Amino acid sequence: MRLLHTADWQIGRQYGRFAPEDALALAEARFSAVERLARLATEQAVAAVLVAGDVFDAQTVSDRTVRRLFNAMQGFSGPWILIPGNHDAALAESVWHRAKRLGAIPTHVEVLLEPGVYAFPQSGIAVLAAPLTQRQTSADLTAWFDNAESPEGLLRLGLAHGSVQGQLADDIDSPNPIAAERAARARLDYLALGDWHGLKRIDERTWYSGTPEQERFKNNGAGQALIVDFEQSGQPPRVTAHQVGEFQWRQWQETLGVDSDIDRLIERLEALPAPAVLALNLAGDTDLAGHQRLIQALAEAEARHRSVQYDLSALRLQPTDADVAALDADGYLGDVIDELRAQQSLHDDEASRDALVLLAGLLRERLPQAASSAEESALGMGTLEREDNA
Amino acid sequence: MKLKRIRIEQLRQFQHPLMVDNLQPGINVFTGPNESGKSTIASAIRAAFFERHRSSSVSDLQPWGDSSATPQVTLEFDWQDRHWRLEKRFLGRKRCDLEIAGVHYSGDDAEEQLADLLGFQHPARGASKAEHWGIPGLLWIEQGAGHELRPAVEHAADHLQSALGAGLGEVTSSGGDEIIQAVATQKAVFLTATGKPRGEFAKLPVQIAQQREELVGLETRIANYRQEVDRLSELRKQHAMDAREKPWQMLRQQQQAAEKALADVETLQQAQAVDQQALQSCQNTLILLREQLEAFQRQQQTLLQRQSAAQHAKQTLQALNEGNADINAEHQRAEKSYRQACHIAQQARQQEQAGRLLQELERLSRERVALDDRLEKAYRVQAELLEQRRALPCRRIDEPILDKLRKQHKQRDDLGIRLQSVATRLQYDILPDQAVELDGQALTMQGETLLLESGEMMIPGVGRLRIIPGGEDIGELSRRHRQLEEALKALFEQLEITSLAEAEQRMEVYQRLHIEIQANERLLSSLAPEGIDLLSQACESCKQQCETFSAQCRNSTVLAEEAPSLVDAEAQRTAAEQALKMAEKRQSDHQLALNGARRDAVNNDAELQRLQAELSAPDRQQRERELSQQLVEQRAEHASLEQRIANRQQRINAAQPVLLQQDVQRFARSAEQLEKAVHDRELALTELHSRLEAHSAEGLEEQRTECLLVCEQLERRYAEMQRRMAALSLLHTLLKEKRQALTQRLQAPLQRHLNHYLALLFPQASLSVDENLIPAQLTRTQTFGVEHGGLEALSFGAREQMGLISRLAYADLLREAGRPTLIILDDALVHSDAQRLEQMKRILFDAAERHQVLLFSCHPEDWCDLGVAPRDMQALKAAVNSPNLSITT
Repeated sequence: MRLLHTADWQIGRQYGRFAPEDALALAEARFSAVERLARLATEQAVAAVLVAGDVFDAQTVSDRTVRRLFNAMQGFSGPWILIPGNHDAALAESVWHRAKRLGAIPTHVEVLLEPGVYAFPQSGIAVLAAPLTQRQTSADLTAWFDNAESPEGLLRLGLAHGSVQGQLADDIDSPNPIAAERAARARLDYLALGDWHGLKRIDERTWYSGTPEQERFKNNGAGQALIVDFEQSGQPPRVTAHQVGEFQWRQWQETLGVDSDIDRLIERLEALPAPAVLALNLAGDTDLAGHQRLIQALAEAEARHRSVQYDLSALRLQPTDADVAALDADGYLGDVIDELRAQQSLHDDEASRDALVLLAGLLRERLPQAASSAEESALGMGTLEREDNA
Repeated sequence: MKLKRIRIEQLRQFQHPLMVDNLQPGINVFTGPNESGKSTIASAIRAAFFERHRSSSVSDLQPWGDSSATPQVTLEFDWQDRHWRLEKRFLGRKRCDLEIAGVHYSGDDAEEQLADLLGFQHPARGASKAEHWGIPGLLWIEQGAGHELRPAVEHAADHLQSALGAGLGEVTSSGGDEIIQAVATQKAVFLTATGKPRGEFAKLPVQIAQQREELVGLETRIANYRQEVDRLSELRKQHAMDAREKPWQMLRQQQQAAEKALADVETLQQAQAVDQQALQSCQNTLILLREQLEAFQRQQQTLLQRQSAAQHAKQTLQALNEGNADINAEHQRAEKSYRQACHIAQQARQQEQAGRLLQELERLSRERVALDDRLEKAYRVQAELLEQRRALPCRRIDEPILDKLRKQHKQRDDLGIRLQSVATRLQYDILPDQAVELDGQALTMQGETLLLESGEMMIPGVGRLRIIPGGEDIGELSRRHRQLEEALKALFEQLEITSLAEAEQRMEVYQRLHIEIQANERLLSSLAPEGIDLLSQACESCKQQCETFSAQCRNSTVLAEEAPSLVDAEAQRTAAEQALKMAEKRQSDHQLALNGARRDAVNNDAELQRLQAELSAPDRQQRERELSQQLVEQRAEHASLEQRIANRQQRINAAQPVLLQQDVQRFARSAEQLEKAVHDRELALTELHSRLEAHSAEGLEEQRTECLLVCEQLERRYAEMQRRMAALSLLHTLLKEKRQALTQRLQAPLQRHLNHYLALLFPQASLSVDENLIPAQLTRTQTFGVEHGGLEALSFGAREQMGLISRLAYADLLREAGRPTLIILDDALVHSDAQRLEQMKRILFDAAERHQVLLFSCHPEDWCDLGVAPRDMQALKAAVNSPNLSITT
């Protein structure tokens, strides 16, 4: 007896921090993640797929988005058992009502909009569903599980969306609380939870599956789904994580000091499995030659990965005499380089750093062995931006 | 660089070799008249350096008309403790040899050495031009070119820059300007020349603002949508509660109870209304009965009134009949007295008429007497007049004629007197028997005659004596006398008189009569103004009238008694007439009253009879009794009804139907209100639900997300552009600043040298240098203040002076940079005045301390105070002609 546990699909989410084509691809990836989940469910021959809330990112997504989601679920013939989360709560009017009106919900998809015990005898399970009917609630919606009766002979499964108290970091939304020992108290065989986007085990019968497609730079196991195996009655299930997400989101902080630091960074870049979404924050110092190598490597990485965003604002450019000599910056151009270098180290000034790079580029162009123009464009209108965690 | 020796052969006017030796390290002056070969030496030096020895375009170097000549220049100079010897031959036997401290170069190698040394270029082909001359072009001033500085500096710019830069230990940027241009071009993508954003950079903020606005709009709509969703759920909750509790049912029950109570009261009110109607009809019947009984009573009273009226009418009629006779008698009396009064008035009128006739008669009689008297008088006067008129002379003499007569008479008398006095007086005393005849007239006795004209005196026996009066023109006088006499006589005849006296008398008679006639005429006209005939007619007519009136008087009947005056009679008649009229009126009034009384009497009788008949009708009594009976019954009925109504009203009032009515309304409305609220809520639910369905289909949040996406992307792009723009601006500013600083650093030494020389020419003046190291702006302190101006604005002489100063400054600069300097001045400063020339000589002398100067001039006197002996060209050429002689100074 095997189940697939997933949550937090956040269909309809968009990514403003990325370039338009990247943002589009990442939004698309949320649909393809559902397709991959369906494939996984089929492969694993699960009895049912439990989706623990936040299927949609918002109530008022377009009709097309609604239809596309349910189309993406065709790959597994069900049953899919869904509850609303805080993003798509079953309000008086909600995305679910609309989906019903549109006739978009296929028969093998069960959306549980009201709290209650739902029996799926063919799958051998009874689902105690605690859907959110408000955007936020301060009551534990799973409290009634404790005293709820479920049909004999069916696995007693809890399906809820919220934060398990005392288990998650304080910065997570604390509304929609769920008691940590709910599974035990309500005699549940398994409690499938959503809301926390990372993969998290609360106890042997209580798990957060995390979102199947990563959408934050957080290394918390997002991008997976859980296969829950009930091998022996009464025993805790065997829970295994399966990679579903298409894109790995990586955020690197590096401080460059010597040339070999750049070599190491370039090696890491080359080793990063594609396609990834990378945010790179660099600090420290480099000379013009090192900077040029770095830009080169970043340009190559950009071509290989979904998105490479880098912030070099904390990276000071320290042209060496050799740099200047190589650029053949005679006369007052040398003065300008010196001035920019001085300003940069004095004020940690972004403009002087950029100006220095610009000037270096222009000088390099003049050299008979003209350097590649990649760096110039990378510096010019490239994705020079300071990253901030979403 | 010190030029030691120059040798020239077969070059222009130096067909024979010319040797200039012993050149001094400082100033060297060459003088000579025009065309003595000064410029040829300068040209030879130029050719030796600038022209390639292989060049075929230097034929101008050959002497005139000698195309086979081989122009040859040999120069020897020291530079950096090495001896240089240059020998260059053109055209015929082309050759270039350079020996530097024993090392030999030839051909192009030699020429490159020279170009490097002095800082110039060789032309790729053809003759060397100004742009190739570099530094020598600047320091070697050709004839008449001293004022032109800019081209020379520009041609030397590269050499100057590198030479001076090196001297300063700096390296000028070989491509700095290119970089600046590239940065400016990139910056221009973002900013206009005036620093305003352009293109996408200008549009982005607008787009971002629009996007943000749209985003805010979407967020507002989303917030509304969420509120409505909450409201929907709230409404649903309320709706469910209503459906469960149905609060309006309670109110409906209360309403029904109130309605029942109200219905009871209404039953009572209906009965009350019936009774009140009965009461009303009962009251009406009572009124009717009373009215009928009252009608009967009124008839009785009317009968009595009628009877007394009939009585009264009879009495009136009787009284009127009695008064009838009196009235008629009175009328007859009045008639009679009126007739009498009329008669008396007639009589009075007749009497009045007669009186008037008598009076008229008397008057006429008196008039007749007067008229007769007048007529008589008039006849008398008339007769008198006739008499007088007859007496009036038939021939009347007028006063003027008389005057004329008198005058002529007097003239004649005067003439006569004069004649007598002047006439020849012939006094004679004739003897009586003697007869003397004068003009036929015998003169006798004594006498005197006056001769007025010649006369012939016949004295018988004696003869004739002719006496001719003399003296005055007696003839004339006598003629006039005769004329007057004749005229007088004629007048007398005319007047039928004989003498003047007669005329006078006649005149007097006439005048007297005339006066009398006039008096009588006036009398007559007063008596009979219209003539006697008319007067007599008037007398006649008066007489007739008298007769007529007297006849009338006699005819008029003499009245028996004396009648009263007409006025009184008329008054009496009028009074009588008035009285008669009144009597007549009284009579007719009386008749009218009588008729009325008679009619009243008849009418009253008729009415009386009718009433009596009615009252005495048989059923009347019966009817009156019945009515009285009915009245009693109705009163009883009325009382009982009133009692009943009062009792019932008490019950109705106690039930308070108005309040009951209000209760019913209150409960009903409340219930309705609740029901309506439920209904409305249902409607609102439906409406809200459908609206939300519509809104949720719009995908607002997805739109918001997409909008935010665009917004963030735009903002990111704008930030990137800003960042790039900031970098470009910084770089651009910095590049320009550094370039400026460098230029200033390069200019500083030149400035120093310039000001050194300038101070000798214009104390306290300064000359600024532009970025191409060309002097540009002269600032001088004049008596009237500080003066600024470009060099181009100066006079030719001053420009030449500035040009020389600048070149000397460049030379100083080059020398400091370790470059060779040789200054050649061909006919310089010819436009300078004596004072300036003095100062310029000081400047030249100062410069010659550091540089070798070759100065060529055709004014030896100008340059004798430079501390060196000028070399005379003639002397040099003379030495050429005796080649063995070495020229020394």
